[in-house]
Amino acid sequence: MALLALGPVAGFSQSPAPKVTAKPAAKAAAPVRSRTSVQYAKGFTLSYVGNYKVLTILSPFEQKTTATRYLLLPRGTARPTGFTEAQVIELPIRTLVGLSSMHVALADFLGASNILVGLGSFQYVSAPKVRQRITEGKVLEVGQGKQLNNELLVAQHPDLVMVTGWPGESLPRFQTLAAANIPVLINSEWVETTPLGRAEWVKVMAALLDKEDLVNQKFNQVVRDYQRLAASTRNVAKRPTVVVGMPFKDVWHVPDADSYMAQFLRDAGTTYPWDKTRAPSGSLALSFETVAPVALAADYWLHTGSTKSKAEIVAQDARYTAFAPFKRGMVYNNNRRTNAEGSNDYWESGAVRPDLVLADLIKILHPELLPTWQLRYYQQLK
Amino acid sequence: MVQTSVAPSTRLARAATYRRGVWLVVLLGLVALGFVLDIGLGPVRIPLPAVVDILLGNPTDTPAWHFIVQQIRLPKALTALVVGSGLAVSGLQMQTLFRNPLAGPSALGLTAGAGLGVAAVMLASGSVAGGFAIRALGVGGSWALVLAATTGAGLVMSLVLVLSARLRDNVVMLIVGLMVASVTGAIVSLWQYFSAPEQIQEYLMWTFGSLGGVVGNHLLVLTTVVGAGLLLAFASAKPLNALLLGENYARSMGLVVGRSRTLIILSTSLLAGAITAFCGPIGFVGIAVPHLTRGLLRTADHRVLLPGACLLGAALTLGCDCLAQLPGSQTVLPLNVVTSLLGAPVVLWVVLRRQNIRSSFS
Repeated sequence: MALLALGPVAGFSQSPAPKVTAKPAAKAAAPVRSRTSVQYAKGFTLSYVGNYKVLTILSPFEQKTTATRYLLLPRGTARPTGFTEAQVIELPIRTLVGLSSMHVALADFLGASNILVGLGSFQYVSAPKVRQRITEGKVLEVGQGKQLNNELLVAQHPDLVMVTGWPGESLPRFQTLAAANIPVLINSEWVETTPLGRAEWVKVMAALLDKEDLVNQKFNQVVRDYQRLAASTRNVAKRPTVVVGMPFKDVWHVPDADSYMAQFLRDAGTTYPWDKTRAPSGSLALSFETVAPVALAADYWLHTGSTKSKAEIVAQDARYTAFAPFKRGMVYNNNRRTNAEGSNDYWESGAVRPDLVLADLIKILHPELLPTWQLRYYQQLK
Repeated sequence: MVQTSVAPSTRLARAATYRRGVWLVVLLGLVALGFVLDIGLGPVRIPLPAVVDILLGNPTDTPAWHFIVQQIRLPKALTALVVGSGLAVSGLQMQTLFRNPLAGPSALGLTAGAGLGVAAVMLASGSVAGGFAIRALGVGGSWALVLAATTGAGLVMSLVLVLSARLRDNVVMLIVGLMVASVTGAIVSLWQYFSAPEQIQEYLMWTFGSLGGVVGNHLLVLTTVVGAGLLLAFASAKPLNALLLGENYARSMGLVVGRSRTLIILSTSLLAGAITAFCGPIGFVGIAVPHLTRGLLRTADHRVLLPGACLLGAALTLGCDCLAQLPGSQTVLPLNVVTSLLGAPVVLWVVLRRQNIRSSFS
């Protein structure tokens, strides 16, 4: 852990070195004690300067030109000079409004789900503690994505609003909140190209909560487990062929080589036909005809949309019965942990526990490697 | 003097009939060519002899080719045939009935009604009663979509039929259709506004139109309904001819206008409703093909125009589907994009060449 704390690891783009020589703050605050560093994620950088932290979210779509910078200051300290364009977030944040299930997962991973005071939609929440808070009326529903209920947010005045970054997204859209001094943080974790990179966004949350020690401990455990599992498949005798996803009429979207799903499949010891094909959007829109030959002969079929049984697959399109995995019953979907509201925990806790997801995949594809593992997110369709 | 003037005009008429006959045969050839190309071409390269072998039921070494030709390409080409002719005929009927060159299958709000039905399934599923109600009926997957789209189109059709019995004016009917489309469109927008992005994406995919996914029972149902609609349309060729001259004139010729109109609207509803239900709103074919047919056959006689539109619609849709599959590429383009990109310039060319399109409608 001490090694990790040494600072930015080579290999990820560091923002222009903050030249501000740690000016003595107006109120003498203790310098930040514990630190963490980013190893896998490419969407943000974190640096420690004096008693504050600089968090930079890199726009994955326009490279660094639209990077958004945040100054994370201990509560009550004066704003340092420089970083004129940066938003200030006072630490630790005590109340958070999160718009995606990923944000729930980030808070829950650090045992801080009680800071959630608002959500985009109640429908997509799995964490029992958050559901409990919703029932108790402690959480507001502030509207999804593009239609934030600004009045509700201004009245509530949370310490931070976390939004999901989309292509072309920019902060000016949140002018009203900025005018009300509510910081808005763009989180684009979903563009990460590896499962560990995606999960590492918990470090953003940890920096906001001053929980670096905890995140180092917990995330490093996830990394160790993930890498041990990935290593176990490296020399498997057979790498089964998998086909992923569910077509809609003519179009079959499959993950491209740079997606975290493709990395999962590599680490799980599979033969994935589109392992070398790249697309700007992270997924390939292929014609049904292109994927069909693979699906006909594949060993496994994963992620079959919203289906929960083979009968539901047949109801979608009777042609799917011709696929070899369907005939041999090797169809697995990632919706075992779907609650009554229709929210799938795979997209929530699964996002920050890639070790568990990988264990599931290995259990499915190489059952002999994990004889005692019980599937957590996946289920076999009967 | 009289004799000399009659003889050339008869000869001219005969020549015109002959020319139309030739065109119809050429169109038939185009349909056959399009059909063969649509089955022969695709992202996966299959040699033509192998395609023929598979179609004849002979075994080949590659089982995947069997699946692709029999389960993907053949149903899709058949769907293109049915969809193309159905949409073209329904467009022709609408343009004549409303005496408006801009009318199309969507003019009565049928497409919008079907879209509303689909939105009810896709955007409400899992949250609001709508989706659950349809699932409770035991209708799964794609049938749920078809059922919803048919219900939506059917509701709009009933409304239109009731109104058409009361309203004498076809222009008023056209406005009613546009307004119904506006209202349903607004409801869908409202629904989208409150929906999750992935649901909206699914709905958006549907609005792009697609010939894939119509297989087995779906194809049977689609063909039956469109066949019935086409029969009704062909039966109404004479009333359509009379309507071209205006309702009063048609009435003076002894046509029961109200009944003919109901027949035509029913036929269009069957055609456009069923096709939208199975394939999504496929734009442009319905508006463009009637104009192309009139330009090609140079006649206003629906006994010639109807079969002409059928053939041309089928050929055009087959051609567009070939392009949408982009031979050599693994991606597939939305059919709506191809029909519009390809169709609009052609229609412009025809319209600009003829200049006074109004003469076809009066």
